[in-house]
Amino acid sequence: MESSGRRTFLGVCLGGLAAAVAAAVTWPVYRYLAPRSTATTAAKVEIPEKDVPEGEAKFFEFNGASAVLVRKRGDGLIALSAVCTHLGCIVQWEKDQQYFLCPCHGGHYTAEGVVISGPPPKPLTKLPFTVANGVITVG
Amino acid sequence: MALLKRLIDWIDVRIGAREVVAKELTGYLLPRNINTWYSMGSILLFIFVLQVVTGILLLIYYVPDADKAFKSVTYIMNEVPFGWLIRMCHVVGSSMMVLVLLLHMISVLFMNSYKSPREFNWLTGFILFTMVQGISLTGYLLPWSQLSFWATTVATNSANAIPVVGPYLVEFLRGGKLVGPPTLGRFFALHVALIPAGIVALVGAHLFFLQRTGVSTPPFGLKDTTNQWKGDGYSYENHPGGIPFFPNYALEDLRSIFIYIACFLAVVFFDPYLFFTRDAFLPANPLQTPAHIKPEWYFLANYQTLKIFPSEFIGLAVQGIAMTFLALLPFIDRSPERHPLKRPLFMACALGGLLLWIGLSVWGHYS
Repeated sequence: MESSGRRTFLGVCLGGLAAAVAAAVTWPVYRYLAPRSTATTAAKVEIPEKDVPEGEAKFFEFNGASAVLVRKRGDGLIALSAVCTHLGCIVQWEKDQQYFLCPCHGGHYTAEGVVISGPPPKPLTKLPFTVANGVITVG
Repeated sequence: MALLKRLIDWIDVRIGAREVVAKELTGYLLPRNINTWYSMGSILLFIFVLQVVTGILLLIYYVPDADKAFKSVTYIMNEVPFGWLIRMCHVVGSSMMVLVLLLHMISVLFMNSYKSPREFNWLTGFILFTMVQGISLTGYLLPWSQLSFWATTVATNSANAIPVVGPYLVEFLRGGKLVGPPTLGRFFALHVALIPAGIVALVGAHLFFLQRTGVSTPPFGLKDTTNQWKGDGYSYENHPGGIPFFPNYALEDLRSIFIYIACFLAVVFFDPYLFFTRDAFLPANPLQTPAHIKPEWYFLANYQTLKIFPSEFIGLAVQGIAMTFLALLPFIDRSPERHPLKRPLFMACALGGLLLWIGLSVWGHYS
């Protein structure tokens, strides 16, 4: 009886120790696997105005992702993220129809990035930009 | 021969090998009306071993680095002697594994072998199916092609639909905000170590449950086709007067494996790019999604479902519900009848589901 009680006590102690070891191991393993923080300063991208003729789009890299400048026919300039808001593919500019098409699941956006049809849940993100001395500065 | 007998005697007196052979091989009896569909499991084991062997061989030359992965695969294909053969066997084998796994599941479904007391067999088999999908998905990131990159972008982005933790989960899966070199490292570890180990463990569990419940009797050619298990206690389904596993059914298994090898090699040698899409031959470009990009054939139905539903959440929820329903089928379908032709409603639902999946896949292919 006494031996059984001591065995139970030892079992509980070892079980507790195993739980403590598991807890102690979990945190370093989680930190090892967690994404590294990639805090980057907001980048600025400069593109000559002549590279974006009327009715056309210019794709470029912005903060590690794809972005696009569009000059609508008879209208102004727009800078958008080119990442589809559905599942992250890069949209394509359909010059003839003047809209964006996502090749992955067929989402359509207007030149302003507003969803026309398909599964995207929200518009393309607008990016701030300025134009000075024939140069477009995005960011 | 005398030497061989002496060697067997030497082993037998130490570990009782003859007793194991008599119990598990020559004395392991299978139902007399057993059919070829029961060989699918053996074919799958053979495919898995072949995938492990070709995978290990590929590891010798493959470099899991985003800058070098595509080049290393090109090197294997064009420079290494018989590298193309090893890689083609691995690529074609992965598609064939999904195909045979689907045939195995469909045969179990139509022969109603998932019913009590075989819930564990079905569940472990279903988890194996999802793990095979997982190992395929992680595998096709490794060549770092356009198909690799964008399929992984879409697949990992799907986790975004999970409320609250979704965005963090996407980042955790990718090892960063976007698919990139850290994603390749993670998927490489999953593909070559974690998922194969999980598959081995689950195959072990699947075979253990099969060994404990006994092989199910096919419902064909019998007068009484109802489930005989009453649920009042553990009982092993034995088959007195049945066919010995060894040598009788082992030879049937071997015949099926050779028929599989013939089909497999026909694809490898005569149409090796059958399962490739053209985006698999272009190096990954994170800034351009190729036009008309399509996933592998077994993900086409999922792809088309995401396209049909206007909301990402609903598209994924529908797939989640369908998968959960399939996983829990033995708990939902409690009918004792096992013959599919005596179950018109079941047959209509099963055939309807299968045709829906095929229809969505074909639609996805041509959309």
